[in-house]
Amino acid sequence: MADSTLVERARDVVERAKRAGAQEVFAVAGRSRSVELQRRDGATERLKEATSRSVSVQLWVDGRYSSQSTTDLRPDALDRFLADAVALTRALQPDPARLITDPTLFPTTVAAIEVEDPALVAGLDSAARERWVETMETEARRHERVISCTSNLTFRSATGACATSNGFVGLSASTDIWPSVEVTLRDEGDKRAADGDGYGARFLADLPDAATIGKNALAYTVARLGSAKVPTRKTTMVVDRQAAGSLISRLLSTANGSSIQQGRSFVADKVGKAIASSKLSILDDPLLPRGLGSRAFDGEGIAARTLPIVEKGVLTNVYVDTYYGRKGKLAVTTGGPSNRVVALGSKDRAAWIAAIGDGILVTSFMGGNSDANSGDFSFGIRGHLIQKGEIGAPIGEMNVTGNLLSLFASLSGVGSDPWRASTILAPTLVFDNVQFSGA
Amino acid sequence: MPSRRHLLQAAAAGVGVVSMPGWLAGCARPSAAVDLAAPLPINPFAAWFGVDEPLLARLLTELGKNGATFADVYLQHTRSVNISLEDGIISSASASIDQGAGLRTVMGDQQGYAFTEELTPEAMLAAAGTSASIARGTPVLARQPFVLNEASKALYPLATSWGDVGIDKRLPILSALEAHAKVLDPSITRVTVNWGDSEERVLIATLDGRIHVDVRPMTRLWCIVTATRKGQTVSNSANLAGRRGIDWYSDEKLKALAKEAVDRTLVLFDAKRPPAGEMPVVLAAGASGILLHEAIGHGLEADFNRTGTSIYSDMVGKPIASDFVTIVDSGVEANTRGAIAFDDEGNPTESTVLVEKGVLRGYLHDQISAKHYGVKPTGSGRRQSFRFQPLPRMRATFMENGPHSREEIVASVKNGIIAETFTNGVVQIGAGDFTFYIKNGWLVEGGKITAPIKDVNIIGNGPDALKKITMAAGDSKLDAGGWTCGKDGQGVPVSQGLPTVLVSSMTVGGVNG
Repeated sequence: MADSTLVERARDVVERAKRAGAQEVFAVAGRSRSVELQRRDGATERLKEATSRSVSVQLWVDGRYSSQSTTDLRPDALDRFLADAVALTRALQPDPARLITDPTLFPTTVAAIEVEDPALVAGLDSAARERWVETMETEARRHERVISCTSNLTFRSATGACATSNGFVGLSASTDIWPSVEVTLRDEGDKRAADGDGYGARFLADLPDAATIGKNALAYTVARLGSAKVPTRKTTMVVDRQAAGSLISRLLSTANGSSIQQGRSFVADKVGKAIASSKLSILDDPLLPRGLGSRAFDGEGIAARTLPIVEKGVLTNVYVDTYYGRKGKLAVTTGGPSNRVVALGSKDRAAWIAAIGDGILVTSFMGGNSDANSGDFSFGIRGHLIQKGEIGAPIGEMNVTGNLLSLFASLSGVGSDPWRASTILAPTLVFDNVQFSGA
Repeated sequence: MPSRRHLLQAAAAGVGVVSMPGWLAGCARPSAAVDLAAPLPINPFAAWFGVDEPLLARLLTELGKNGATFADVYLQHTRSVNISLEDGIISSASASIDQGAGLRTVMGDQQGYAFTEELTPEAMLAAAGTSASIARGTPVLARQPFVLNEASKALYPLATSWGDVGIDKRLPILSALEAHAKVLDPSITRVTVNWGDSEERVLIATLDGRIHVDVRPMTRLWCIVTATRKGQTVSNSANLAGRRGIDWYSDEKLKALAKEAVDRTLVLFDAKRPPAGEMPVVLAAGASGILLHEAIGHGLEADFNRTGTSIYSDMVGKPIASDFVTIVDSGVEANTRGAIAFDDEGNPTESTVLVEKGVLRGYLHDQISAKHYGVKPTGSGRRQSFRFQPLPRMRATFMENGPHSREEIVASVKNGIIAETFTNGVVQIGAGDFTFYIKNGWLVEGGKITAPIKDVNIIGNGPDALKKITMAAGDSKLDAGGWTCGKDGQGVPVSQGLPTVLVSSMTVGGVNG
């Protein structure tokens, strides 16, 4: 569907909703195409293709608010859907804080964020897809202990148009592509060592080559062979860049208007104060070219701008949408994160491991959770011992436990090696004196 | 065209009848963009979208045009409503209609899949053609006439279907729950209530000539409590969920839910972290079934065994636990989240014994793995929606009663913990390592409960933890919480249960010194 048709659809929904009785309307019409090819052990396992479309709408009726979505876009069905939506909204209670986005917050220029790859809009032909999954698999299978190997390539092209009753029309178009490989190797007894590698990007040209992903997947899995429990200890924790994003995400999980206004945030009284050591700086950058989280405007239509979240350890801004801004008397920034870019240090992972000598390298977190009020956390980990400045034996069945604020206060090192296949661009992180529980 | 009569006859004895009252009932206020007040649609997709049996046969024939071991068409129409009460007012609701068709061609272990939200013959035939491109062989025609699958019992009949319940009937439940919670303690500063209900209509038509129609209701009510005492703020929640109707929410139930949410919250004021390291873990009856889900359930999903990637791949027929351990995964626990009359491939569900008196009996199968192993499907092929291909999945996973008592079990623990409420868990299928997160629990010292604990992750290894189940009580029960299981990017509703159990040693993510 041409972009103009999507805009027309969004505008049409605004008009229909107004006719149905809504005073203000924020409508979004979306369309996406996705293709997935999965290969396992020498043969295609799954081929999946779809074109998907939907309409979602936020309504303000007599001081009341609701949001609605449908995939039934037949005109008569849409009218009935909107009539029901307005009726449902009227049945709710009025809330003076529920208002459509103020027009002054909407973008006035078109941001150049470069998130749509013409090559992916056109799509990869089936021969090119086959080459990707075959090459990844071939490289990942080069080991005598391989039990099974699954390689996958998924790409997507999405377009969205929004229109509002107070004058905003916005259009977004993006692509992304995700190659990945999973490998299972026979280990001791009944155990299997399983791991893999994967990458994601907006542009085909930004991907590493298929052979590298396959080789990495095998290398990471081979490194897991013979994983064993090690004793409970307090030691230095080096977090691999592929796992670091999940810790950053936990640290900032309650740095938003909803959590703060609702009194369920361990950083509620920390704005302007330290939430980490001075080594940590994080910029929310929706305008990062080709970023997986880049956007010209957020879900409320608020124009994108860079927002420093943490500067030298100090929490400088939190994510606040218009509703919780009004309700909690907080300064409106943007409803949620885009790309969170962590400021880099000077050493890469290998250099940090050499520098600290002994500790534990965390390659991934496994389950666990954290408490919104206290920041107390406990996560399972997978990783390796670090001995004499080198990566040692693989570790299984281990937890790491503590408090997010004290953990980040002990952040002593930041890597020079950001992981770009994520909306959190984090490098290796090093923390001192961390509690691990094992045998 | 024998279809209508054929469907009606079969439906009279079949599962389609189960939820029929909801479709048949006069509808004062249609809440979906389909005319619920119109005369009965046995096959709503025929009534609303013109997807009749001849069209289904055309789609299946298209799916089989290059050959197929089997193929299916999955039609879905789901209407859901979510409402929240925050700061004393019900000022936000969301409702959605999600409809579409999933079209699948299976050739051996290979699958072609496509979906469309447009239920027109053109869009669905195009999608079917895409799926069929996975195969290279001789065309297979859809078997005719269709036969409607029959289910032996009603698993989730509702007095009033959600489509017939006005929004005004739902709102007082949220307000009542808030009021019940607020009065329980002066330290309570906030009560937030989240409500959800949905009604999913599905039609599954298969290349071998079966049609299955079902209506699957679901509801969930969540109570979140925040309390402040001497400058310390704590929050926690409790929820209830099931394939139930509005009359399930009696005032008594709301009071019990409010009390549970408040109790779980207030106990956090005094709760501490337990020590770190290996120790005995008592799992309280009910939600602790999360142990089974992670430690063994996923590992017995047949896709992981068919590919040799599960730690349990070579263990069928072998003893893996004490002889009092019997573990079941059942699709027929009425009104639970895991209840499902037919799975999403149109196969009848059952109660599948996974471990019988300590011996591993078998796997959870979808149609591909059942064919691979030459066994009957267990009715475990499930999918999140029409956008996904089915996979072997759990339904309601639980352990049967054991020979001990809860008192005996607690008294046997010198230094350990009791795990009582949980937020989430995960497992590595190959290595067998699993974790689950304890939100509330108790410290046990010298056989006595001494203090509340909070926020610890437990990590263990599946087969190892099963061997270490040294005691089990006679108080097995299914948890009524709203558990959702994730696999391969798909979430499906599940249930879990356990009697009070002692695992003699697991690693507790506590804090030392």
